Amino acid sequence: MTLPVGQKLKIRAMVYVAAEPIPFFWPMRAFIHHNPLYGLERLPFPEAVEKGARLFHGRGFLRRADYQRYLGQGQVDQAALAARVEAFAAEREPVPGIDLPRWLMALLTETQNPLTGAEIMAETADVQAALHGQAPPSPPPDEQAIAARLRGALLGPVPVYEAVDLLHGTDVGSELDELVIKSCLDFFDEGQSVWGMPGRERGFFAAWLDLARRNGRLYLSGLHIDRVLGSGDSPEDVIADVMRTLGVAEEYWTAYFTRELARLHGWAGFIRWRSSAKHYYWNERYPADLVDLMAVRLTLALALLKERGRSAVATAGGLEQAIEQHTRETYLHYELHSGAVLPALAARVEQTLAANRSKKIESLFVDYVRRKRAHEAGQLVVKLRDLAQRAGDLEALSALADDRLHSLLDTLRGFERQEGMIWLGAMETHAMNRLLEGINLEPSPPRDKRPFAQALFCIDNRAERIRRHLESVGDYQTFGIAGFFGVPVSFMELGKGSETHLCPVLLTPKNLVLEMAVSERRGDIASVTALEKVLHELKESVLSPFVTVEAIGLLFGFDMVGKTLIPRQYNRWRRHLHEGKPGTHLLLDKLSREQADSILRAVQRAVIRNALKQEFGLETEQINDFMVRELREAAMGKGQGAPESAKLLKLDDAAEEAFIARLREAYRINPSIVQLQMERLGRLGFSLDEQAGFVGQALRSIGLTENFSRFILLVGHGSTSENNPYESALDCGACGGNPGLVSARVLAQMANKPEVRRKLRSQGVEVADDAWFVPALHDTTTDKLQLFDLDRLPSSHVVYVDRLHNGLAAASRLCTGERMPTLLEKSARLEPAEAFKYAQRNAMDWSQVRPEWGLAGNAYFVIGRRALTESLSLEGQAFLHSYDYRLDPKRRLLGNILGGPLVVGQWINMEHYFSTVDNERFGSGSKVYHNIAGRFGVMTGNLSDLRTGLPAQTVLENGLPYHQPLRLITVIEAPFEHARRAVEEVTSVKFLVRNGWIRLLIITPEQGTVYVYADGQWETRRTASAPEQPLIEESTVS
Amino acid sequence: MLYWLAGLFLPLFPLSMGFNALLVRVRNGPLRAVLLLVWPQLGLSLAFAASNEVPDWVLIVALFTAALYAFRAIALREMGQWIGFLATSAWALLWPVLMSGAEASPIRLYALGFSVPLALLALLGARLESHFGAAYTGLYGGLAETLPRFSGVLVFVVLAVIAVPVFPGFFALFNTVVSTTAAAPSVALSLVVIWLLWSWAGVRLLQGLIIGPANGIEAPDLSAAALWSYTSAIVVLLISGLYFAGDLL
Repeated sequence: MTLPVGQKLKIRAMVYVAAEPIPFFWPMRAFIHHNPLYGLERLPFPEAVEKGARLFHGRGFLRRADYQRYLGQGQVDQAALAARVEAFAAEREPVPGIDLPRWLMALLTETQNPLTGAEIMAETADVQAALHGQAPPSPPPDEQAIAARLRGALLGPVPVYEAVDLLHGTDVGSELDELVIKSCLDFFDEGQSVWGMPGRERGFFAAWLDLARRNGRLYLSGLHIDRVLGSGDSPEDVIADVMRTLGVAEEYWTAYFTRELARLHGWAGFIRWRSSAKHYYWNERYPADLVDLMAVRLTLALALLKERGRSAVATAGGLEQAIEQHTRETYLHYELHSGAVLPALAARVEQTLAANRSKKIESLFVDYVRRKRAHEAGQLVVKLRDLAQRAGDLEALSALADDRLHSLLDTLRGFERQEGMIWLGAMETHAMNRLLEGINLEPSPPRDKRPFAQALFCIDNRAERIRRHLESVGDYQTFGIAGFFGVPVSFMELGKGSETHLCPVLLTPKNLVLEMAVSERRGDIASVTALEKVLHELKESVLSPFVTVEAIGLLFGFDMVGKTLIPRQYNRWRRHLHEGKPGTHLLLDKLSREQADSILRAVQRAVIRNALKQEFGLETEQINDFMVRELREAAMGKGQGAPESAKLLKLDDAAEEAFIARLREAYRINPSIVQLQMERLGRLGFSLDEQAGFVGQALRSIGLTENFSRFILLVGHGSTSENNPYESALDCGACGGNPGLVSARVLAQMANKPEVRRKLRSQGVEVADDAWFVPALHDTTTDKLQLFDLDRLPSSHVVYVDRLHNGLAAASRLCTGERMPTLLEKSARLEPAEAFKYAQRNAMDWSQVRPEWGLAGNAYFVIGRRALTESLSLEGQAFLHSYDYRLDPKRRLLGNILGGPLVVGQWINMEHYFSTVDNERFGSGSKVYHNIAGRFGVMTGNLSDLRTGLPAQTVLENGLPYHQPLRLITVIEAPFEHARRAVEEVTSVKFLVRNGWIRLLIITPEQGTVYVYADGQWETRRTASAPEQPLIEESTVS
Repeated sequence: MLYWLAGLFLPLFPLSMGFNALLVRVRNGPLRAVLLLVWPQLGLSLAFAASNEVPDWVLIVALFTAALYAFRAIALREMGQWIGFLATSAWALLWPVLMSGAEASPIRLYALGFSVPLALLALLGARLESHFGAAYTGLYGGLAETLPRFSGVLVFVVLAVIAVPVFPGFFALFNTVVSTTAAAPSVALSLVVIWLLWSWAGVRLLQGLIIGPANGIEAPDLSAAALWSYTSAIVVLLISGLYFAGDLL
């Protein structure tokens, strides 16, 4: 039966709502750091973590042992930890004879494993009996309570096959995931496979269904797709049909879909992103959305349940019936196959259930429940005694009455539920104190002369180190700004036909920038490229490897030997082969209508000349301008045919008309195409006002409006590594996961224009006449700083270039000298030159799984003057955004910083947080097992969910956290009301702060007061460098 | 009558149920190990004591028994039962060797080659039972992480049980397959299939115990002395395997 449109829309809406908690997954060509719990950001952090952990079966906090190690290393504020424990204890009912804070501290800091853990059957009386070495009371098992627990574990939004697996030890869930992954790999492939799936143009579900109906492997496995499908073929029909067949009540459908999508949240996140992306080539060509995915999944689930499941219980109704009518047997089944069974009774349970004799089952049930309660109580008592001993209250524990013991257990259980937040808060307090102790609020002393050079770096935390070193080697002044320099650009690289968005994914660029060659390519490059293309195609083709391996296999062997044994020398040689990219300029200026029209006319004329040559074999000298103009006007519908040209070409009327039609259709010379091209050309470049606006805004946002140096370096950043699918994760996040050089070139080219400078002057930004903006690139793997577009440098500046190069090289080496020991097994001190060599090798070594630590370690986001943190070594932990509130009376600049860079910083921070606390679920596991999937993602092994987070090598070191998982500690240097109102005005940031996803501090520069937002209110304190002595936790502000 | 008795000790279905019922009842690890070492030797003694020839139908029953128990072992989760089933399957395969007229001493060595790894496994199983309450797969996986020494030993012992090269079981089976291929290819094929089932069962056993995330239950790993003892036993098995290989050279 086909559903009415309204019902279809309802199902579609249900699927979309169900997918809300599933985060987007962007193709890894441009890795976007994101919060894995982005869909839950509307909830307070602790709540979201709890919900996310349940949904994705992950852990939201580190293990207790990890926090204890941090405590031992002095990374946790002991006083804050004790205060939080005290605060928790104060809220609970006191237990006479028990020093609760001492117990709780002992639990946190001296025991490694949780005391209470999962929900248990043992009651206080059982624990009391075990505590006193008595036989446990043996009341008859509470079947109602057990049935209720079973309903919670097996019904409602729980997928039916999960319940069947839990009851019968089948593996339908894993089998289903495998089949869905295979289907996704077939459909979503972006050119990795040689043979594509047929019929993809019709959409995911339609293409899959067509294939599944004829799939011999599915048929042989007993999965008869046709038999499980109803009459409707649309995905919505199938979803409704399967859900009704499974007997799931409609009220649970949305939650059920969420559970289904969360099982393969990487694939679901990719499809979700793909279907919502604008102009994504692959989605336009092969459309798919989550409704398709759900239909595929449910169809396969039903087929598997029919084949592998037990027909009697393979529906929600059947499960409900089993729980109601055979509670004891169902419970034992559940215990055995969910892994909760008492090991000592496992074999007996298995044999009894296999024998299927009701009397034996009943007696086993009673015995099992009794022994399970006793076992749980016994285990709990061992841990309780251990804890009591550590707290020095062993006797008091034994003397507790039933109700007191119950209260104590309840308190301990509640405490362990909140433990993660307590540790996290205390670690963040330590991190805040460390920052605040080193922060400098003194106003910068006036300079007697301008700096030799000023450098604008990305806010990226890796820039903190190199900025510090650059400042230390000479008269350099540095600033922090988002790496796209505030100019959202859609960039078309020389020789490429697609656009790349160079800005945070939150923005959509309106302006297109083209790269144009200004010098010739080297001749032999084409042949090298052609050779590479041939080798690639031979390798990728189905048959050619079989027939060519003997002939050319050795070539690949040379490549392997070179890359492995002498990576630096070999890669340098290989790069030499590619040094053919000619000098380029960027087309930045907007075209006038006349200019655009001229360009189009010129292109059309060239096309018509080619058409005449191809269609009539004319030589160049036989084609004249008059002929071309007449034909063009005819094709554009401006003239009555082209009689003169027809005469010259000896065409009769019909042939003349046919040629003009061909010009319109095949050669696309017609008014609608012209209209389209005019629109595209309209996107090209920036108007003068736009250019002055972007430059002015960028400079004002960092507080640079006067005292310009001779050189203003705009330093974008990128990374270099080999054999690394995560390479773009190391590039600039503010440039959409691309290197930041183009953005630097764009802003430099704009800012160097005299017309732009004149406009800037009228805006109050006095750029000195001799100031020159120079684009540069910071390679974060090697720390090399390279200048670009030096050919445009005024001759007056050339004499200073050598000094500039030397300063940059010195900073690079010092930076690698500081950074490389963190990457080496033995973190010995290295001479800068030696460290620089190591870094070079890391960038070229194809076996290197950790070319750099990337953004690991990020903890702070400082918005304020450089002077605040200039004297503080933040060890690459801080995003530094320069800002001077005095230039921003209306808070617009601050609003922009909060709404853009800060949000991106928070995504990066949360990606690192969750990838660290549970690398298997929220991260992507070890890189060693990764394989590229479909050219857009990675899988672990040959078949897995798309791995969405960061690999273990980015956040862990020898299995332990390298990145300290903290929420982003954001500091704004500004008057309190100024900053508070700016935060309130940016809705997304307001909720991030209120819900505790960001820890916000406001530092008032004049009073030296620090306002900390915590638990829904502002607390105040003073900084160490404030005029008066430090004053901690002095009051609260409403 | 002696053959009937031998059918109990070199278990043939349905007499094999007796041995497996007994093994389940013996909960003591060392006692189990002794039982595993002695039981087939008793059967062999009885078989050698019988004067008349082994009836032909015994071969079919022996192969059926070996296949049945190997197949059932794939789904077993309790290690004690698993050991019993593998022992039954392996010892039943001594009948084709007996029927080929081989001498007594190599057959006894073959039986030992099957029994020693099973006895070691019984000791390891007893250790699991004492720590976790049961030696049962799928309940407390991830032993590789929590008990690395124990897991290493367990892997080698299971490999020896399922007769991978160069343990004695491998050469015992290999010799049997080679010697029967020409005369009775169908028997040789059956042996190979049974061998494959052992591997499958062994992999599933290891998968359910060793692999996966640790579940947090704390248990002491093998002491250095125990590790050395087990390692020595495994090395002895490997060396004796090479001795068995002498028959092939």
